[in-house]
Amino acid sequence: MNLVAPSARLIDAATGAVLGGAGLAAEVGRHAAAYAGFPPGVVFARSGTSVPAVLRYAGALRAQRPVALLDPALDPAVLADFVRRFSPAVVVGLAEGGAGADTGERPGDYRAVDDEVLGPVWVRERACADQPHPDLAVLLATSGSTGDPKFVRLSRAAVESNAAAIARVLAIGPDEVAPTSLPLYYSFGMSVLNSHLAAGATVLVVDGGVLAREFWQAVSAYGATSLAGVPHNYEMLHRIRWSPAKYPTLRTLTQAGGKLRDETILAFHARIAETGGRFHVMWGCTEAAPRMSTLPADALPDRVGSVGPALPGGSFTVLGPDGAETDRPGVVGELVYRGPNVMMGYAESAADLTRGDEQGGVLRTGDLGCLDADGFVWLRGRLKRFGKVFGIRVNLHDIEELARDQGPVVAVSGPDRVVVFVEGGTDDGARALAGRLAERLRLHRSGFDVRTVERLPQLPNGKIDYRSLEALV
Amino acid sequence: MSLTDRLHGVFVDALELPEGTDVENLTYRGIEQWDSLGHMTLVAAIEDEFDVQLDTEQVIDMSSFKVALDMLRGLSVDE
Repeated sequence: MNLVAPSARLIDAATGAVLGGAGLAAEVGRHAAAYAGFPPGVVFARSGTSVPAVLRYAGALRAQRPVALLDPALDPAVLADFVRRFSPAVVVGLAEGGAGADTGERPGDYRAVDDEVLGPVWVRERACADQPHPDLAVLLATSGSTGDPKFVRLSRAAVESNAAAIARVLAIGPDEVAPTSLPLYYSFGMSVLNSHLAAGATVLVVDGGVLAREFWQAVSAYGATSLAGVPHNYEMLHRIRWSPAKYPTLRTLTQAGGKLRDETILAFHARIAETGGRFHVMWGCTEAAPRMSTLPADALPDRVGSVGPALPGGSFTVLGPDGAETDRPGVVGELVYRGPNVMMGYAESAADLTRGDEQGGVLRTGDLGCLDADGFVWLRGRLKRFGKVFGIRVNLHDIEELARDQGPVVAVSGPDRVVVFVEGGTDDGARALAGRLAERLRLHRSGFDVRTVERLPQLPNGKIDYRSLEALV
Repeated sequence: MSLTDRLHGVFVDALELPEGTDVENLTYRGIEQWDSLGHMTLVAAIEDEFDVQLDTEQVIDMSSFKVALDMLRGLSVDE
């Protein structure tokens, strides 16, 4: 699989080095060739935000090896568990650093090699008996509903078709320059990389994220044209009164990875529209490689709150309360996505990697919502996110919406009550909110335990860490 | 208390730093606690403690303890 179109470029913001054209193709080829000396099988790639990490990834794909993109700050015990369960042929990116990065000890069946091209790696002594399915291209970790980390299996066709569909719907052409604002091991970050390289555009590899001086220096110096962020990123930029006006080359802002408050969406839409740019709200999940829908920028402000229609090649239906699938507008139920980008399935062990497609292009998203007459998706929260207050089922998403004017909030289910965490609130505000929720939902206020926290815990990908909050109640 | 000591205290509280941390040589993203979330908490804590409002550029520039200290001096916060 060749992810990199002929006109694609990689700019290393740290050194100013530019790799493009024949030079980039040669580097990807050199990395692909370097994998030839290892036993057959999967590549584990600890991937920070660096040009070597991108080349190791693109090289593995070119070498037709499935590659798992891993957080370098992954707990060493979790990495060891992944290696034990999936028996990768090689673990690359051992020198990928950053705060908290630690590989732990070399696993028993592996030897350490300092590869001339790939750097320090662990190589499996013998090939694993379970060899991955030939369609498999990318593995991304997900915690799933049980909390056990597992992999999402993405086929070559899923990765390629999604990269192409994103490029089409966002009009990514060779002139685009995308900075790496999100980690590569996170599905949204990977899709920014894939869609730009496949469209022959430029990826500006810069570490640090949107609060780092180096990031904005690189945006200015190399004329970045787009910015991708999760709600947390945009809320931070909103709070520090960031304005795109200072970066006139920025034309496209994209947001995915969870619900951004409508007022924040409208604020960024207004700011970027002033300079002739556009703001796109998008929806996806790792299981869809990852993009499923994009809201056209001209649908704002009228359709704020929608995540837009399905990507080209995809479609949505709703699993209605009667258990039948429908595309009728206004019916609320679990959203079902169909498209060429749907995963092959999950994997919990090396044996699972041998399996072919188990989804048939259909994905139950686990999200509640409805379609409108134009096929735009309106999300209503997670299917399973319900709590009980005095035996009455309440939708935790609705409670969060009711409390959202207090700032970032998360509602979790407690023992016969709902616990609401409010970021940066006051005790008086918390008491008032409990009263207001009780009134709106017609339930006694002792059913609402509102707590203020300095900040809501987050996962490395910027999403709220619901599990650690649930552990507190 | 000197400005350095007060800022030291703000860092320790806001980032929940373990005892013995070399606070005065800290850099943004140099430790796990000072990530983007930590940075926003730190900015809010500095604004509270010193009764200042940091602008966008100052928030983005604040890449180390030393830079934060110089910035506060530049804002004429009393020693």
